[in-house]
Amino acid sequence: MRRRAGDSILIGDAIEVQVIETAGGRVKLGISAPPEIPVVRGEVKATCDANKRAAGLLTPERIALFTARLGIKNPQAR
Amino acid sequence: MPEIVTPHFGRLAYEETSIIEFPAGLPGFEDEHRFLLVDHGASRPVAFLQSASRGSLCFITMPVPALACAFRLSASTEDLRLIGKDSGKQPEIGKDVLCLAIISIADDGTPTADLLAPLLINLKRGLGVQAIQEEPQYSHCESLPLQSEESACS
Repeated sequence: MRRRAGDSILIGDAIEVQVIETAGGRVKLGISAPPEIPVVRGEVKATCDANKRAAGLLTPERIALFTARLGIKNPQAR
Repeated sequence: MPEIVTPHFGRLAYEETSIIEFPAGLPGFEDEHRFLLVDHGASRPVAFLQSASRGSLCFITMPVPALACAFRLSASTEDLRLIGKDSGKQPEIGKDVLCLAIISIADDGTPTADLLAPLLINLKRGLGVQAIQEEPQYSHCESLPLQSEESACS
């Protein structure tokens, strides 16, 4: 759907997305939603997922593999 | 001297002045505000961002300039304010801020770097933020060069 500045989109009964301003290839949006529904930029969610993956994948074995690949000392305590 | 027990470095004693405070935490770890940068000389350029609150939480990092010499910082004003660098222009990497990428390691040891949301650290003030780039040039999972040579952009 196409929207101009000042137009809005309703999602269900409780969420409204309003186009506040468009300029220079960017769109400024205003979003109204109930407090129990988190509203975040897509990049924030993607960063969240990337961080959880990075932290979750960090095992002593992977650190050893990684440092060996780089040719540097494995700093882990023995 | 406070200590934290970690699976990778054992018992880590640290000075309170070594703590890097992340006022906003990290996306996915918003309640984690206190970190240590564990940097063993022989392991450089790799450094570890170790939580000072949770021993099991640790990230591998590498300096962004070592991974992508053409990287241009485009942090938001809000993020720069969190580390006391909101002068109206982007801080200079290596001079005003340390810029690190979080590294993910796959099962076979293949690493990728998050160059879309680097860590910016104001070492003088002990403040850090994960700054999602406003004008991203790279993704969350960029392939690494495997050599530990000096930057190729000389």
